[in-house]
Amino acid sequence: MPQMLSNGWGWSRRWISRWLLLAIAVTAVLVTLGAGAGSQAESVTITFLVRAVEAQQLQLLADQFEQEHADININIIEGPNAADSVENLYTTSFLLGDSPYDLVYSDVVWIPKFAAAGWLQDLSDRVSDDDLSAFLDADVTAGRYQDGLYRMPFRSAMGMLYYRTDLLEEVGAEPPETFADLIAVSEAVQESTDTQYGYVWQGLQYEGLVTNYVEIVAGYGGFWVDPETLEVGLDSEAGINAAKFLKQAIDEGITPTGVTNYLEEDSLRVFENGNAAFLRNWPYVWAEANKEGSPVQGKIALKPMVHEANASPAACLGGWGFGVSASTPHPEAAWEVVDFFTSRQGQKQFALEHAYVPSRRDLFTDPDILAKFPHYEQLLEVAETTIPRPPVGQYAQISDILQRYLSAALTNQMTPEAAMNKAAGETRRVLGESA
Amino acid sequence: MTTTQPSTTPPASEAQGNRIPWQRLALWATVIFTVFFSLGPPIWELLTSIKTNAAITADSVVYLPAFDQFTAEHYIQLFTRNRFHIYILNSLFVAIVSTVLCLGIGSPAAYALARLQIPGERIVLTGVMGVTLFPYILLFLGLLRLVQFAGLANNYLALIIPYTAINMPLTILVMRSFFQQLPKDLEDSAKVDGYNVVQMLWQIILPMTLPALVTTGILAFIFAWNEFIFALTFITRESMKTIPVAAAQLGGTSLFEVPYGPLAAATIIGTLPLVLLVLFFQRKIVQGLTAGSVKG
Amino acid sequence: MTQDYIRQRERRTGWYLTLPAIFVLLLVYAYPIIWAFISSLFTENLSTNLEQEFSGVENYVRLALDGRFWNSLWNTAVFTVASLIIELVLGLGIALTLDQAFRGRGFVRTAAILPWALPTALIALAWRWIFNDQFGVWNDMLMNWFHIISEPISWLGDPTWAMVAVIAADAWKTTSFVAILLLAGLQSISQDLYEAHAIDGASPWQSFRQITLPLIMPQILIAMLFRFALAFGIFDLVLVMTGGGPGGATEMVSLYIYDTVMRYLDFGYGAALVVVTFLILITVVAIAGLGISKIRTATGEESS
Repeated sequence: MPQMLSNGWGWSRRWISRWLLLAIAVTAVLVTLGAGAGSQAESVTITFLVRAVEAQQLQLLADQFEQEHADININIIEGPNAADSVENLYTTSFLLGDSPYDLVYSDVVWIPKFAAAGWLQDLSDRVSDDDLSAFLDADVTAGRYQDGLYRMPFRSAMGMLYYRTDLLEEVGAEPPETFADLIAVSEAVQESTDTQYGYVWQGLQYEGLVTNYVEIVAGYGGFWVDPETLEVGLDSEAGINAAKFLKQAIDEGITPTGVTNYLEEDSLRVFENGNAAFLRNWPYVWAEANKEGSPVQGKIALKPMVHEANASPAACLGGWGFGVSASTPHPEAAWEVVDFFTSRQGQKQFALEHAYVPSRRDLFTDPDILAKFPHYEQLLEVAETTIPRPPVGQYAQISDILQRYLSAALTNQMTPEAAMNKAAGETRRVLGESA
Repeated sequence: MTTTQPSTTPPASEAQGNRIPWQRLALWATVIFTVFFSLGPPIWELLTSIKTNAAITADSVVYLPAFDQFTAEHYIQLFTRNRFHIYILNSLFVAIVSTVLCLGIGSPAAYALARLQIPGERIVLTGVMGVTLFPYILLFLGLLRLVQFAGLANNYLALIIPYTAINMPLTILVMRSFFQQLPKDLEDSAKVDGYNVVQMLWQIILPMTLPALVTTGILAFIFAWNEFIFALTFITRESMKTIPVAAAQLGGTSLFEVPYGPLAAATIIGTLPLVLLVLFFQRKIVQGLTAGSVKG
Repeated sequence: MTQDYIRQRERRTGWYLTLPAIFVLLLVYAYPIIWAFISSLFTENLSTNLEQEFSGVENYVRLALDGRFWNSLWNTAVFTVASLIIELVLGLGIALTLDQAFRGRGFVRTAAILPWALPTALIALAWRWIFNDQFGVWNDMLMNWFHIISEPISWLGDPTWAMVAVIAADAWKTTSFVAILLLAGLQSISQDLYEAHAIDGASPWQSFRQITLPLIMPQILIAMLFRFALAFGIFDLVLVMTGGGPGGATEMVSLYIYDTVMRYLDFGYGAALVVVTFLILITVVAIAGLGISKIRTATGEESS
């Protein structure tokens, strides 16, 4: 009987074994190839990851660089639009080893973690202090970690308050200086004009929320974490007041309740459609709100964020720069790319083309730039008031803590006091555990 | 005994001979609900993927796109800008290889557990069933360290091996139940004819259980194709990513915006192979699942 | 004599055949758990460049005070229990009503299997889009079709609604699957039982309670046990749909573990989280397992 069966099924048995052998062979080949796949180009390719929209913008500079350097190619990989996600992608790639990235297009707050973990090269030998002094101080400091320099600043950003000049004129108010002023003017505008909202910002539970908070707590004379002493200032009076202020804005209707879901784009949309008097956002808003067809074209101005009378204005420092991966097989070529992008010429072109803020001081007063963006002189003022977020290795952790508790306070899950107290406690425990 | 009705309706009214209308009504209501409920989201994604961006973000929701709201640009963009064909190939490769490996390792084990009364059979079976309870998140930390130490980053083995292990319990259970249902005389006469175990397995048993292999293979393929956490973590090289990971990481064309159109297109493309599988093999899939889960 | 020898050789071959499978399973399942137990006794945090140092139970002390962990555990519990109940009730209902012959049955089965077969991550993207507060079709249907609400609900922006949305998405994925499984079980119940019962004057409800339920109880319990374990470790769905937000309202244990390891590079602590989660899972399963075997002996089932 088995004989009969093997005849009847013989074809399928052979068929199976042939396909199986083929599959195994193909597997073996592909797995070996897959393991060895990577850089087999004659010329050198420098790879880094950037958020999708900016990746397209950086391509301009990359093309120029490739023209001038025949033997170096630049491969910009498009990533998701959320900065956190891009950070996670970089982190994962370095953690696992065999990272495909030669450069890190880095936000200001990633450096301590990446440097501490040993993933970035120290660049101090490649730039002199003289060269560095051409950049904005705060931006350079953001790239430092324990005596090393790990990031060259490319473009800077700072939070600021935009306002509708026409609306303020209508209610006869001066641009507000203090928190109380901001509330008062907002309410006046909401009452006298048919503007729906007064003050719009970003309240979603993400890094943007924290940048809002940092400015406000500094405005109240407080701080988040002191990097030297690792002291936590969230549950101080200033810390709690800052949280209360944000909550108050929502409760009193000055800020839309949907703000707890707003990213930068959402808040911009409200402002651009003429539905708000004040917008706290980043430099890119200027070009966006002033483009053709915008309902608020020509009617906006900017100023540093409001603050208490006895404190100074604070702008949360943002921006992006380049770090060089410690494990890149092409450190020299990588540095060439960094040098090009962060050079005066590179930054100027990028700023002119895409309305981003450079990190070199003299570009703010460059005639070509001022011709196109006259407000950059004002921006320089704001740039001099920038404050960093705490440059500690556990930044991701403490930022997540603050984000969570702030968001909980704003969405009525707990009072601002309770939220800040808990946040402070957890932050202390996180920071306290490091050697 | 009463004659058995040709249809399998539940009790009560049957004995009386008439079907109460509301029962039939409930049936059709449930059918319609189930169908819409199950197909709703995928169909909505399909519609979204062929609408223009303007139609997607229109103030009042556009259900069926009008003629001027149709567009294939999202799909085109996926293949030109995002090179989605690469991800498709990656997913195919990993899923097929791990499926083959799983069947290759699992079937012999299933046979041994079905017929050969190995020592410790109870323990092995309990263990095999027990591990299906482990959430992958608990495994991923240890496997991460393993991948680091073994230098398996960006190597498909880092996915293939876990996928094989993950599909193993189901394979073993399903194949075992099939093996147990085979008439013993086949094997007895084979033994009489002088086949040893391995020959018997390879030349006689396996061909007979081809349907079961197909069933198990399909299930393993589905699991491997859909797997996310390991694919997210262990593959960092863009060109090697699988579809679920690549789709979830799609960026947009304007700052801070979520690209709903391309995301929908990516969803459709990523689910198309599975939809086809389900369409053609629905019966087998259900068979396999019930065999695997009904077992004590 | 030869019989025993053949039998012995068979058993040995059997072992060889099983060994590769056992090896792979041990490698992927046992090694990580054991490693987590050991590693949780050390402190190691890459983001502060901390070298691995022995710290005993320090990680567990920190865990006990970690509000975020207990919060995530609570979320996981809520999610698991809610989705389990919904899926069981809905699935059973669908299965019961479908337990009749009708045309197009194959089509319905195909449609019902589809949600389960599709990649969770991609389906989560679809659900995020459906629940979008501005352009989402669900808000639109609620407002303009059913006229239940007048303002769009910010589903994923509100802590409670976000949890509801996530549970709904999970229920969508699994209910039909549960229904199909239960349906198969239902169809294996002999019609004669129902007929005999009906002749004795039993109502449909009584038939259900006294015949159907006891006979498919084993299936239900096993399915629920596996569903529980799966729901407890839910990751893809929540990560893609809400990322754990808003305010950590939908953060599950799995997300917290993932963040701790991959974002904070806090390996020792992450290992401790894994261990505790594992122990909790084992405990619940053990209790449930005991309960199941009690019920089975009560209904006279033999353990297979």
